[in-house]
Amino acid sequence: MKTYKELPNDAGSNIIGQVTAQADRLQKRLASVKHTVAVMSGKGGVGKSALTANLATALTLRGNTVGVVDADINGPTLAKMMGVRNATLEYTSVGVKPAVSVLGTKLISMDLLLAEDDAPVLWNAYTQKDAFTWRSTMEVGALREFIADTEWGELDYLLLDLPPGSDRLPNVAELIPNLGGVVVVTIPSEVSQLVVKKSVTLARDVLKVPIIGVVENMAFYVCQHCGEEGPLFSADETLDEAFQQVILGSIPFDPRLARCSDTGTPYIDEYSDAPASKALRQVAEKIQAFFEN
Amino acid sequence: MKFLCTDCDAAMKFKDVTRPEQGSVTALFECPDCFTEIAMYLNPSETQMLKSLDLKLGGSNEAAQPMQLVRSQLETAKDNVMPNEVSSETGSGETTEGGKCPFTGVISEAFQETSEPIEPTGPVWSAEALERLERIPSFVRPMAKMGIESFAKENGHDEITGEIMDAARGNFPAQF
Repeated sequence: MKTYKELPNDAGSNIIGQVTAQADRLQKRLASVKHTVAVMSGKGGVGKSALTANLATALTLRGNTVGVVDADINGPTLAKMMGVRNATLEYTSVGVKPAVSVLGTKLISMDLLLAEDDAPVLWNAYTQKDAFTWRSTMEVGALREFIADTEWGELDYLLLDLPPGSDRLPNVAELIPNLGGVVVVTIPSEVSQLVVKKSVTLARDVLKVPIIGVVENMAFYVCQHCGEEGPLFSADETLDEAFQQVILGSIPFDPRLARCSDTGTPYIDEYSDAPASKALRQVAEKIQAFFEN
Repeated sequence: MKFLCTDCDAAMKFKDVTRPEQGSVTALFECPDCFTEIAMYLNPSETQMLKSLDLKLGGSNEAAQPMQLVRSQLETAKDNVMPNEVSSETGSGETTEGGKCPFTGVISEAFQETSEPIEPTGPVWSAEALERLERIPSFVRPMAKMGIESFAKENGHDEITGEIMDAARGNFPAQF
């Protein structure tokens, strides 16, 4: 009786061929992207998406062509933050035209495909029972299509805003074998840094993805009246020593940034002289330097 | 997946695959020498996994369409996400039959079960039940409808009434 290896193919489904075709489609699209950057945190609530939106804007204002993938499939927020939530995606035979912000940054997000504000991401299935067995597979498939099927054109930077947690990064690293690097976002709290350390270890030691650096968000506040700085979290809290070696910048808290996120206004353009704007632009400059050097 | 006809010691070849029925597809394989057929049943979880991977039993000769997985599988999508909204400016909106876009059929054939008309043999809906169905949020209504019908069929009911809906309520995420 013939063994598995002696049989010529998989009875005609050519599963390997189908998977290879998916990968080829992805690589063909990525060929026009110079640098891919994953923005991750490990912990939720550190302002990662707002940071991604503003870094994308900062890179755009530096003369780069920039695209953003909202990789938070179940909690997409970037369409609102970038002021394109009402955009209608246009489907062509070769791809989907992304939404474009007022300053020219391109975006694809699940939020642009959902029917209503309160519509969750629900996938067609005979039953939602035991959906845990396939839902994450479907989400990775969606992410693959977001990257591969969006008509990005020539991009200098493609930023991927990952959901909280470190579990999405391995998926991204698999989809994008030449992932340019990871920007890790944390806040001045032991709790955040404890979790973020795990993400850094995963990226650097397990997945072998370059760490571009760490951004300390909400690092302090600046009084809008007198300019005095003060700690937003514990006054004793300092950035972990391991993070200090790769720090890209410390972004002060500014309530106007949150307001701009709500209104879809580009904060660093609207408040270009604000300390947080300057810090964000410096981070963007360092990211660009990372690749150019 | 590989299948061997043990009598002929020959690799069986894919012959056909059914549309999903109650979440399960059946694939037929045939021995090229003795023409013996076997049927492989995929349970709903296996079928769903195949869909989630965007793979087709028997392979596909059709070119992949942009975001075909998301657009065909996202239950809560905007109307304009559906596949018949291809831009005509690009020339890709050429029609084949009935003004539909050229790849609607491809996507439907590959995946859709819920968009199919209700099977003629399925239970009928009472007026009261239909009224309650309309109160279910639109983005989950197709899924709820299919689930209620499955529940009714599995429990031997020919007509879906308010009582049947109450009995099926625990099976679905949406309240109705």
